[in-house]
Amino acid sequence: MTRLPVFLLLLLIACPARQNAHSQVIVLGGDLLLQVAAPALPQDPLSVISTAASLQWNRQNVVQKITVSTSCPGQRFSLKVFALNASEGVAAPEVTLTNGMPDVDFITNCPRMGAKVNTAILRYTASATFSQGNSTEVGNDTHIVTYTILEQ
Amino acid sequence: MKIKARTIFCLLLCWFPASVGFSQAFGTGNHTVTVQILPVTDIRIIGGGVNLTVAAADVVAGQATMIATDQSSQLQWATNSSAQKITVSTNLATPRFALVLQAVNPSAGSASPEVALSMSPTNLIVGIGRSAGTCTLRYTGIADAAQGTGTDNHVITFTVQAE
Repeated sequence: MTRLPVFLLLLLIACPARQNAHSQVIVLGGDLLLQVAAPALPQDPLSVISTAASLQWNRQNVVQKITVSTSCPGQRFSLKVFALNASEGVAAPEVTLTNGMPDVDFITNCPRMGAKVNTAILRYTASATFSQGNSTEVGNDTHIVTYTILEQ
Repeated sequence: MKIKARTIFCLLLCWFPASVGFSQAFGTGNHTVTVQILPVTDIRIIGGGVNLTVAAADVVAGQATMIATDQSSQLQWATNSSAQKITVSTNLATPRFALVLQAVNPSAGSASPEVALSMSPTNLIVGIGRSAGTCTLRYTGIADAAQGTGTDNHVITFTVQAE
């Protein structure tokens, strides 16, 4: 009888680790380079769009959502992301990625029933005004963009 | 009874996170997104060709110098490089008449005083920095009565370059 509480405690400690051990959300398409190059008068800011990467996640047994955040120390230029053609759930309006931002809802209301594997295209939009300069003078922005799937 | 109390305590521990609003995270994925902005410079003339005609109406009795002006065109530029200026030059090596130009009301930088156009690039606006801006182009053609009649055809070139 004395073993039961110990077992429950071990279960409590072990469960989160087991969940994180599986890759429940992955980014397909690898790292991205968004390069703004074309002269564009009278367009200001300059901008470029990429849909080269996508997000894939596994359905969980609860209603779940996906959040997004970024780390980009010394960020100079603008970067936004939108979930295009999400196979499940509701895409949030375009999210502006800012260094140090808290996790922001990206796709919500992903149902506990339905397809086991779901996807969405990641539509990134990078932009810069002329007054913000260029990477030759001020350097690139390198974002580590993190997507998290969690119970809603 | 003591064992049951411990069991209940452990069950409460399991239940506690969900009851106070903690959401269970199932996993994370990330990738690197690099934003690279290349040096971009553009300059355009709005308004097309300019004709400066000195006619009888421009002549003042007793004055040898005749003047015609035009402000129908504009210059539009954009650059994301620092320490930039705009220069102007003409392709006409030996003009018969004088032609001067001034940038009026530039939205960025400082306009030089009236520039006498020559084949050597001359500063028109300095200190435009990283900007997207416009100005009006005021051309003035100047002829002395002694120079007679004729036509000068200029091709004017504007350049954004480092200061």
